[in-house]
Formats: sequence, structure tokens, C-alpha cells
Amino acid sequence: MRTTASSRPVVTGRGTGVGPWLAVPGLALLVVFVFRPLVRTLQLSTYASDLIGNPTRFVGLDNYVSLLTDSDFLHTVTISIVIALLGMVLATVGALCAALLLRRRLLGGGIFNLIFSLPFAYSAASASAVFAGLFAPSVGVLNIILGEFGVGGPHWLADPVTAVWSIAIATAWYEFGFAFLVLTAAVRDVPPEVVEAAQMDGAGGFRLAARILVPIMRPSILFLVVTQTITGLQSFAQIQVLTRGGPAGATTTLVYRLYQLAFGNGTPDFGRASVIAIILILIVTAITALQFRLFGREKTA
Amino acid sequence: MISMDIKPTPTPAGADKQRRPRHDLRSRPRGALRITGIGTIVRFLVVLFLAAIVFLPVYVSYVSAFTPNGEMARSGIVPNPAHVTLANFRAAATAVPLLREYVVSIGVVTLQTVGQLLTGALAAYALVFPRWRGRRIAFGLVLVTLAIPGETIVIPNYELVGSIGLRNTILGVVIPYLAAGYPIFLLRQAFAAVPVEIWEAARLDGAGDIRALFTIIIPTCRPQVTNAVIWSALAAWNGFFWPLLITDTAAARTIQVGISQLAASEAGSPSVIFAGAVLVVVPTMLLVIFAQRFLINGLTRGVLR
Repeated sequence: MRTTASSRPVVTGRGTGVGPWLAVPGLALLVVFVFRPLVRTLQLSTYASDLIGNPTRFVGLDNYVSLLTDSDFLHTVTISIVIALLGMVLATVGALCAALLLRRRLLGGGIFNLIFSLPFAYSAASASAVFAGLFAPSVGVLNIILGEFGVGGPHWLADPVTAVWSIAIATAWYEFGFAFLVLTAAVRDVPPEVVEAAQMDGAGGFRLAARILVPIMRPSILFLVVTQTITGLQSFAQIQVLTRGGPAGATTTLVYRLYQLAFGNGTPDFGRASVIAIILILIVTAITALQFRLFGREKTA
Repeated sequence: MISMDIKPTPTPAGADKQRRPRHDLRSRPRGALRITGIGTIVRFLVVLFLAAIVFLPVYVSYVSAFTPNGEMARSGIVPNPAHVTLANFRAAATAVPLLREYVVSIGVVTLQTVGQLLTGALAAYALVFPRWRGRRIAFGLVLVTLAIPGETIVIPNYELVGSIGLRNTILGVVIPYLAAGYPIFLLRQAFAAVPVEIWEAARLDGAGDIRALFTIIIPTCRPQVTNAVIWSALAAWNGFFWPLLITDTAAARTIQVGISQLAASEAGSPSVIFAGAVLVVVPTMLLVIFAQRFLINGLTRGVLR
């Protein structure tokens, strides 16, 4: 019988051992539940589907053409971008103001910090439920409060324009908490020496914020602009809870349209739903690539 | 092509403690302070105004949840304390099985978080310490998953999970998310910042890969591991789109799906919707109230770097 390896010292070389195999569970799951679906989505987008959604025959780019020449779908793309940008701008600008104003000590600062962080506790679904109660026409609290000031609130979710604003406001509120946490961290990371030096030069208040603090916080702001835009483009819970895409399709976003096509009440249309998925991936990839370029420039600058 | 030489994350949570005391701004002459008095008042008023807007939905939902429907229409913004009631919570729990959905959500959070941390720590270890061919490509694949919106790949996953009979089960809700790119990435960055000597010393002491990971590497990276746990748990608790699709009976419905259905079925009585919303956010509200400092110092910075 041969002597076993147990008497020899344990192999410590970096190229041996079971180490590499430990990546298998995680990577295998990503392959099955991310990369396989990605390829399959690409395939489905080029197939016509039968009555229960299964792919029947290869139709090339027909699904793409039929969607991209549909004016309703182009409205869906536009409105998704509008909602994403409105939500991002409102949340980021609001949170930036809040974080900058709370940089120095302020009466009740701790409570204000907590209040501005509270939206972070809400999921998209729970925030949307809260706004459903706020925006409801006659029983909605928002119109009751407006009524106290003698203002007759609109029928928030029934008019195409106010419905889009309502979705954007709910989205912005839901995104505000995270933006505030990120920007508060960024404000606190500004080196005190820099602030002191600027104050010696007489910069204070607004000028200090605009000329010194905001430029230093640029990476965090840029990060929020990108991530909040991407989050906004994926808006679904707000639409599902508040408007179901209405009135008359005014708030139908990309993901909501995908949901309607693939899982709605009608015949499942996995082909065209997959086209929407591919379009969304392309938009998000483009934004991510832009982010890498911008961040890359930041490093070399 | 995504560059792969992303810098390892320094320990963010501990870094805050070493910061110098913040007396820098109060070292100005007294006269200057008095002049800024007006400025401070203006600053306070602007903050108050902003805070009022942000706080309004929270305030209204809590007050309405504990008072009868239409209380604000009758008593104004400040409710009558004599009207406090739990009836809305009972109504919410009757309209939708919120309690059961709560339990389902806790199960989903547990399974998903444990799954993502386990697969994430193992993969991160393999991506950092042992040398093997394809390591960089594997990490590149992980990075690619970060850029793919989850909603875009649900159709094939819906087909697959349905075909293996997991529709309307908790396992079906969690199975596509037992591994996630972000925890792998976060832990990989943390492990890469650990000096290789620590790992080599553990191996020389006879520790195998698994033991080195769990007894040496993970404890060294506790702050980032905590970040990964919180990220995974929040994602699992807040998840909505996939749980909505894969459950069409109450058996495995999560609380997020429940609250959306409550908003639809109780559209005429906001107080009941608010009561449901109050229940749903209890755990995350506690996180924000008691771990706010940690969220600022750890989670957000972890996300950024």
C-alpha cells in the first residue's frame, strides 16, 4: 500500500486545492437564472407566439418592427424616460439641498436627518400604496389638505398630465431616502480643511455649496443621476398600484407594457414582451457605458 | 468592455471613527457667528419646509392608520386623540391575509439572504485567493449581471420555474435569487483588500479553503459582510415584480404583493391602505431609525466604491 499524503505538509500553492470550485454554486446559478434567460429573451424576441405564449416560428425582426412603428409604444418609451428623469431630478436635487443644508449643526438636525432618511424604509410597492391613499379622488388625503387651504385639488390619477406627475412624485419620494443617505455621506466626506480654506477666502453659504462642495461631491451626484435614472426606467410598482397604465395608456411604462403583454389579461405575447426587454437592456447598457466613460474621465482629470 | 482592475474596498465602517472632531466651523470669531444668525434662521426654515414635504406621506399614513376613515376631513391635520382605533389594521388583515404574507416574506428574506451570502462568499473567495484560469472572465461575468435589469429576464425564468412545478411556492419565489451579482461583487472587493499573508498563514496552519474562508477571511471583513447581508435582505423584503408574477394564489404571496392588492381592493378607504403600509414598513422603519448612522457610513459608501 502506498503512503497517503497525510504525512506531507498541506499544499499551500495558490493554484491547487478545491478553491476554484467554490465559485461553482454562485456562477452556475447566475448562468441558469441570468445568462440563460438573457439568451432565451433574445431568441423569444425573434419568434411569433401561439395562444399560450410559446414560440411558434422564427419571424426575424417582425416583433421589433411592429413595436417600433407603433405610436403607442413610442409614447411608452417617451413616458418611461420622462418619469425616470422627473423622479431622478426631483429626488437628487431635493436630497442635495437637504444634505447641504444639514452640513452644519442646526436646531433639530438629528430629527431632520431621520425624516429625510425615512423614505428609504419604503419599498416601491408600499410607497405606492401610501400615495394611492394620498391621491385618491374624493377620499384622498392630499385633496383634503389642499381643501383646508382653499385649493380644489385635481383628479390626480384621472387626468393624463397630473397622472404622470403623480407617478413621478411617488417615484421621487421613494428614491429620495437613498439619495439623501448617499449625499449625506458625501457631504461628511468633504475634507474640513477645504471648507476652512474656502471660508478664509470669504466663501459662505450658497457660494461655498455651489463652488466648493458640489464639485467635490460630483462622483456621488453622478452615481445617483445614473442609478436613479435606471431605477426610474424600471418603474413598475407605482404604475401597477396607482394607475394600471392609465388613463388611456398615459402612464404605461416599458416594464408595465412588458407585464401587460406577457402576463396581462390578453393572450400572452412573449415575443413582443421580449423585444421590450431587449430595448430596456440596450437603454440601461448605454447609460451604464456612459457612466463608465464619465467616471473614467473623472479619474484622469 | 468593463475594466476589471476595480480597486479593493477599504473598510468603510471603521474609517468614520478616525475623523477629526468637527469644531472646524465654530472656530470663527464670535462676531461672524452673530451675523450668520439670520442665515441660520433662513436655513432652518428651508429645511423645515423640505422636511414637511418629505414627512407628509409618512405623517398622513400613520395618523390615518390609527383613526377612522375620513378623520382628516373632519378634524383637520391634527386628529382627535379620542378617535384612536385599531379598526383599520383589523380591516386590512381581513381584506388581504397580511399576517400569512408577513410570514412568507420573512421566509423569503431568510432563504434569499442566506443563499446569496453563502454562494456570494464562496464565489468571492474563489475569485480572490486561488489562482486559476478563467478567474478574470468569471469576475467579468459577475460584473455583467450588475448591468442587467431584473425585469428583463423574467419571462424565461417564469417558464423555467413553472416547468419544474415551483409556481406558487416559496422556493419558486427565491430560486432565481439564491445567487446575485452584487453580493459577490461586494464580498470580492472586501476579500481582495485582505492581505494575502493572512490567508497564506491560515493555509500554512493547515486550514482548508472552507475553514480559511469562514474562520479567517469572513471575520476580517465583518463590516462589508454586514453590508452584503443588509443589501440582500432589503432586496428580498422589497422585491415585488417577480413575486407578483410567480404567485397567483395566496400560498406564497409576499407582503409586497399583498400591499399592492390591498391598495386595489380598498381603494375607497385610504385608512385601511395606510394601516397595511404601516405594517409592511415596520422592519425597514426600525432599520432606518436605529441603524441610520450605519446606513450612511456603510451601505451607501459600500455602494459607491
